[in-house]
Formats: sequence, C-alpha cells, structure tokens
Amino acid sequence: MALLNTLLLLLAALCIPGLINRTRALLAGRKGIRFAQHLYDVGLLLRKGAVYSPTTSVLFRMAPSVILATSLLAMLFIPVGDLRPLVSFEGDLVAFAYLLALGRGALILAAMDTGSSFEGMGASREALYGALVEPALMLTFGTLALLSGHTSFASIFEADATGDAKLLIVLLLAAYVLTKIVFTESGRVPVDDPRTHLELTMIHEVMCLDYCGVDLAYIKMSVWLKSAALSMLAADAVAAAVCPRWWFAAPLAVLLTGLSVGIVESTQARNKLVRNTTFILTITALAALIFFTGYLLRLNIGLQ
Amino acid sequence: MLFLYTLLFLVLIAAAIFAAPLRAKVWTALALTGAGALAASVRALGVLAGSTPEVLWRVSATPFGGDTGSMDPLSALFVVLISIGAVASVLYSRGYLAHTLASKSPAHVSLHYTSLTVMCYAMLGVVCSDGGFSFLFFWELMTVASFLLILYDAQRREVSRAALAYLIMMHIGFVLLVVGFVRLDAACGSATFDALGAYFHAQNPLPLFLVFLAGFGMKAGMFPMHVWLPEAHPAAPSHVSALMSGVMIKTGVYGILRTTAALGDLPVLHTAGVILLVLGIVTGVWGVLLAATQNDVKRLLAYSSIENIGVILLALGVAALGKSSGNQLVALCGIAGALLHTLNHSFFKSLLFFGAGNILSQVHTTSLDALGGLSKHMPLTSILFLTGTAAICALPPLNGFISELLIYLGLFDGIASGSGMLASAAGLAALALIGGVVVLAFTKLYGTVFLGAPRSHEVAEASEVDNLRIAAMALPLAGILFVGLFPETAVAGVTRAADFFLRTPADAADWLLSPTLSAAGRIAWLLIVITGILLWLRSRTLRGRRVAEGPTWGCGFTSPNVRMQYTGESFSEGLQSIATSLTQSSGEGSPVGKGEIFPDAHRFDIGHRDRIGRLFSAWWVELLRLINQRVMRLRTGKINHYVLFALAFLVLIFLLSLLNVI
Repeated sequence: MALLNTLLLLLAALCIPGLINRTRALLAGRKGIRFAQHLYDVGLLLRKGAVYSPTTSVLFRMAPSVILATSLLAMLFIPVGDLRPLVSFEGDLVAFAYLLALGRGALILAAMDTGSSFEGMGASREALYGALVEPALMLTFGTLALLSGHTSFASIFEADATGDAKLLIVLLLAAYVLTKIVFTESGRVPVDDPRTHLELTMIHEVMCLDYCGVDLAYIKMSVWLKSAALSMLAADAVAAAVCPRWWFAAPLAVLLTGLSVGIVESTQARNKLVRNTTFILTITALAALIFFTGYLLRLNIGLQ
Repeated sequence: MLFLYTLLFLVLIAAAIFAAPLRAKVWTALALTGAGALAASVRALGVLAGSTPEVLWRVSATPFGGDTGSMDPLSALFVVLISIGAVASVLYSRGYLAHTLASKSPAHVSLHYTSLTVMCYAMLGVVCSDGGFSFLFFWELMTVASFLLILYDAQRREVSRAALAYLIMMHIGFVLLVVGFVRLDAACGSATFDALGAYFHAQNPLPLFLVFLAGFGMKAGMFPMHVWLPEAHPAAPSHVSALMSGVMIKTGVYGILRTTAALGDLPVLHTAGVILLVLGIVTGVWGVLLAATQNDVKRLLAYSSIENIGVILLALGVAALGKSSGNQLVALCGIAGALLHTLNHSFFKSLLFFGAGNILSQVHTTSLDALGGLSKHMPLTSILFLTGTAAICALPPLNGFISELLIYLGLFDGIASGSGMLASAAGLAALALIGGVVVLAFTKLYGTVFLGAPRSHEVAEASEVDNLRIAAMALPLAGILFVGLFPETAVAGVTRAADFFLRTPADAADWLLSPTLSAAGRIAWLLIVITGILLWLRSRTLRGRRVAEGPTWGCGFTSPNVRMQYTGESFSEGLQSIATSLTQSSGEGSPVGKGEIFPDAHRFDIGHRDRIGRLFSAWWVELLRLINQRVMRLRTGKINHYVLFALAFLVLIFLLSLLNVI
C-alpha cells in the first residue's frame, strides 16, 4: 500500500503542471499546449549536453542532485488519504519542512555561485520569502497536530474527522492556507510568475538561468514533486473533513492545485515585489488565526 | 587548600609557558590543555556511560562554608564539550598566531598562552564545582583569563575598548551572582546548588531565580545583555572567538540549567518556563535578525551565537513547561533538545569561527563585501565552512537538525497533548521564523564570501591555510557528523545528562525518543544515498554529450565586472526593510546621487547597529563619565593626601560605630 501511495504522489506531480497549462489555455481561449508537454520538455533537456560558467564551482554542479533528492525524500512522508506513506515517524512534519529548506538553501547557494547580480537578486528574494513562509507552514502543521492529537502526517490524517462540523471548518481553512503556501513555494502568481520575461522581476526562474540539460531537468522535477507534496497535504486536509479515502484525496490534490493555480494565473496579475512580504505575512497571520480558532474549539470540546 | 593548590598550579603553568622557547610555547600550552582535557574527558565519558559520579574535591572554611566539586552526568556533558573546544582552539592557534610571533614580545605571547590554558582549566572547574565559593572562584578566573585573551591585539583601539566593555559587563553579572549566593548562604548556611533547591522550597523562589537568571544570562548573551558579544568576538583573535562563543558562553547556559533544575517541581516552575520561553523567543529572533543584517563575518557569527542561545533557552522553557504540567515526553524533548543544541552549537560555532580565522589570516579582512569566490582558492576551508553552515541552519543530515527536531517534537507534542498549547504555538512560530532567517543569514554569508568571483585582488591571491589548522577544524567536524549520522548513540549520552532535570531513569527516556531518532538517522543516510544515485545518473546522462564552458548569463549586458555581483548588504536588504525598527542604520560617505549621469568615484559604507547597544552610549553613560571625572579629582598622586583619606575613613567608621549605624 505504501508503494501505491508513492506512485499516486508521483502521478499527481506529473499531472499538476499539465492541468495548470490546460486550465490557462482554456480560460484564455487558446488552443494551448498539450497536456504532457512539460514531460516532453524535460525529456528534451535530458538529452542535451551542458554549459557551465567558469565562475561556478563544484557546488553548482552538485546542487541540482541535492535539490531533487530532498524533494524525493520529503515526498515519501506524505500520505494520500488513508494510505500509509513509506516513511512515517513522530516529528516527520519537521523533517519534511527542513528537507524543503535544504533544497531551498542549495538552490540559493547555486545561484550565488554564478556571480551574476540577477541571480543574487533572485536568491535574496527566495531566501526572504522562504524564511517568512516557514512560520505559516509550521503553524498549519501545529493546527493539524492540535486537531488530531498526533505528530506525524500518517497518524494525523488517519484520525477520522468527518461528521464533526467544527473540525470541518478548521480543516478546510488549514487546506486554504496550505494551498496559498503551494502558490508561494512553487513560485506561482501572485508571488512569482514563471512566464515572466524580465530577469529583474523573476524569483525562481532567475535562479536557474545558468542551468541547462540534466541539471535544469532535475530542478524542474523537484519543483513538481515539492508542489505535489504540498498540494497533497492540502487535499488530505480537505479529505479528512469530507471523505478520508485515497481515491478521493489523490484526484483532489491535482484538481485543487491545477485549477486554482490555473485560474489565479489567468485572472490575476502578480504582486509588486514589495507587496510579496505583506502577502506572505498575511498567510502567516491567517495560519495563526486558524490555530487560535482550533484552540478555542478544542477547549470547548474539552469542556463538554 | 584547593585554592592554594590551584594558585600553585597556575604559577606552574605560567612558569612552564614563560620558560618555553617562543616557537614551543604553543606546544607547551597544547600539552598542558590536552593532558587536562584528556583526563577530564575520560572520566566524563565514564560518567556518561553510567559509572557513579565521585567527589573531586572538598573545601571547607570558605566564606560560604564548605563546598565540593563532583562530576555528575550534566557536568560530564559540559566537560566533554569544553575539552573538545579547548583542544581544537589551542591547536588552531599555532598556525593562526604564527605570523604575529615576530611582532609581539615573548612575554606577550606567553601571557596569551598562559591565559588560554588557564581559561580551559577554569571552565572545567566551573562545570565541576557544586556551587558556592569554588564556583565563583573559577567563574572569575574564567572571566579574567578570557579578558586577557581578547586583549591579544591590545594596540588596536577597538580591541581594548571591547575588552574593557566585556570586563565591565561580566562583572555586573558577577555581582548579581555574588548577591545570589550571599542571599542563599544567609538563608541556608550553604551556597551550593543543592542548597538552592532547599531555598526554593522554603522561600519565595522567583526573586532569587531571576537574580541567577540575569547573572548567568549575562555570560550566555541573553537578551538584552547580549551587547558585549558582537563587540568582543570580532575584537578577539579567531581561536579565542571560537573558544568564547563555542564554549565559554555555554557555562552561562550551564548555570541557568542548574538554577532551573533546582526549582524541582514547584508550581513556580510553570512561571519560570514561561519566562525562559519568552526570553528564548526574544533572544533568538533578535539575534537572528541582527545576524542577517551584518556585513562582517565575525559579527554575523557573534549574533548567530545569540540566536542559538535563544534557541537553547526556548528549549529549556519547553522542558520546564512540560515538566510542570506533568508531560514527560515534552519535558524530555525540551531538555534533551536544549542539551544537544548546546553541544551542537559548540561544534559548529567553533568550526565557523576557525573558518573566519582562516579568511582573516589569508585575506586580512572579514568584511563580506570585500570577499567572494574563496572556494576556489581555499577549497578545504570552504568545504568545512559549508558543512558548518548547513549544520547551523539545522539542515539534515547534520547535527543541528537533530537537536532542532527534538525541540520541535517537544513543541508539537505540547500542542497535540493539550498542555501549554498557546505557549507551544508561540515557540513553534518563533522557532520556524528563526530557522528560516538563519538560512537567509548563512546563505548570505557563504554565498558572498566563498562563491561567485573574487571582489578584490587580495582574495584572488589567497591560498589555503596549513594542515594543522585544518586538523583543528576537523575535530568539531567529527562531532557534527557523528551527531548527525548516529543520532541515537549521541542522544543516549545526552539523556543521561538530562536526568538532573527529569529525575527519571535514562533508559525510559531513550525508549521514548528512539523511534524518532532512529528514523532521523535513517533519513540522513537515505538522503546521502539518494543524492549519490542522482549524481551518478547525472554524470551518466552527460557522458558522451558536449559539456562546454561559457560565461555567466549577463541578461543581455555584455561587460559585467566582479563589483556588480550581488553584495551581502543587498542580499539582506529585503529583510532589513521589514526589520527597520530593530536596527539603526548608519551611512558613511556619500552615495551616488540620482542626477549623476556619469558618476565619479564614491565611497559609501552602510552599517546596521543594534538598538539595544545604543542604550550603552546614552545619556546615563555620559552622566557616569562626568561623575567619574569629578571623583577623579581625589586622585592627586600625593602620598600625604592618601594618608589623609585613610584617616578620614577610619574616623568615619569610628563615628558610625559610635552611633550604632554599623
């Protein structure tokens, strides 16, 4: 069952970018690219050679492997609905967050290694937004731990919360915050725009400007995996409130992120960069508020 | 008699070092430190492995009655920490001071090495004494020795200023400790930490607890008494910074641990827990925000030490809250996290300060924006520094991750089990923010110093340091890797030391934490294996394909130069714009104006100073200086005046005793 869990996550990771692209095309009234275009793109990258700047060091060459390894490993912690993940232990929430942090740190250093001021700019933004989004992520995990009384992903989502209207609200709110975190962590509008053409305003894209070939493919795959893992968490939170089954959670993760990112990217402009900090701090404030709501509800439950 | 022997021993150390030839002084110091460290560590490891602690010394007839020295598991843990830090520091000093030996007098060098050796022994004395007079004796010996160590470059004005500020602040802390111990002695007839437990049971514990917390917090660098740290560390030679930041400030933590443990399970433990948690949050967040805005390697590292002390205090607060609410697992996670983080910080901070020393000795600057691209010229230093960087960011698979995992687990368990939920959530959010900003601060540090292209020709001509210094850095590196890759074994020793606080058998504690720790160990190995496989796949994919070299993409700009790289200052500018209220920015020189289309040479320095530090240059310091000036008039230098003063003093005492005032 644990293998099915991992397979479903991988499948979700492959589907989400495709669904985003199709949604965007549909909303813009374009014919658009085919669903699996991103896979062909990566396939192309894997067949290419590489060009490295003489400024870079070994770190630049090793970073993509580290980044992909962290995303792969972090993905193993995430359950899909009621399936058990491959790796689960008390405190895997923390390991998940810190593996993502390792990937982020590696990409930042790789960007600094090129000696380009544009990449430094992107690295600086990524570091700041990553630092600010961390409390929101941890507080949301805290809310989940508070509601379920457990400290590992698997046991949190095993606890059946359907039928409790009060918990339902908090779980849905937590899913909302997690979706916003997906937007931030995978570099989507309104925080970052993957389609922007101006290096000055990029964040994630500018950090991999000097990568090509297999390295770039690794980075792209790690972003898919990372956003799939986070989307699956959001879907799990919804599923725990509505229908805690894997056949519900897995498609939901794809639809939730695919549609919401597609719709937001078609209808909204990205933030001015100075507004991003406000945006992320608002997510944190929201996460704190949801925690507090959960706390009040729990006190109330305790009284009865 | 202990003090007599100690003084005799000090004289012998001094004699041995002063008598040794100039080049051999370091080896004498190393032999003396190494012998002590080895003897102490062997005993300490025995205690940590389960042998019963024994009394090391017993003194009677001190002003506070008799006291003893013994090595329980907590002392043993700190003995190990001090021994490793001390030996690495002395070993490192050989290469670091080599080029200064010619310009310093032999007596100066001897004094430095004597202080270094004495400092190591004094720290061992501090953590082994059970309180009372011998504790204060070693504490003061440690302070004086570290003061002399900072003064190695005393001819530089900022060094003597920093050393003096350090000495004054340490003595404010010392006075607080003396007040605490005198009060304890007056109430209980003894001034040991055991007596402190009895005192807390008998009387209102909070005032004395706060006095001790402030006294020890001064040494540890607790907010708002941290201002000496970022001044003293950059001023001191790097091996001394490593020793002070990695090891010495931990004696403050040791004192706070003992004081908190003395509270037992009184109801006031809950209040103490909240105080420690809040202090930890404030210290940690303040330290890390200031660290991220610094543009000097050593100042950044100094602020990061403050941040780590904050994390340790936070963990101790979690432990106290868990214990007071009867939640064994939370208490265990908190205290094990605090102790392990203390040990871990001593490893990676020593390593990083040694790295800073390598930079300073090869490039002669520690200003971030003058460095860059060092990883090509100093490959070993750069790999070691990178490991330290990843460890201090608490990234897997290194040691920082294990201790933060334990602290987080304590917080999550507090939330999940419903004991102290709001306090735990506050700790959780703060620790996450600290963790995030640490990554920013240290990627800024490593990225600007070691990566990219050299920003000056000194950097481009830098070369790797001697192997002895690399060996000294390998010592803490071994600790980092051991704790990170074999967390279960490492934490087993730490949980034994946690007994002093929890009063439960260590085996039960090991059993509670073992699933998480073994999983953390597996993850570390798994991460390494997966990365290895991916690297292999990558090289397989590239085999037979064209791998070329080309310039960094300049985004259409055709003539970039090295000065155009993103600087450390601009890297943290985004954070700086949020944290403006914490720092005071100062600009020297003139920036390029908007109207200048063809600007000529400009010089502009931006610095970010601590707002708390400003308190020490405020009006009341000026007032003290004025009063001091007035009082100085009494110092006439004429012997007859002094005799007159002595006479006046005697008359005053006589009159006061006549009037029954004293």
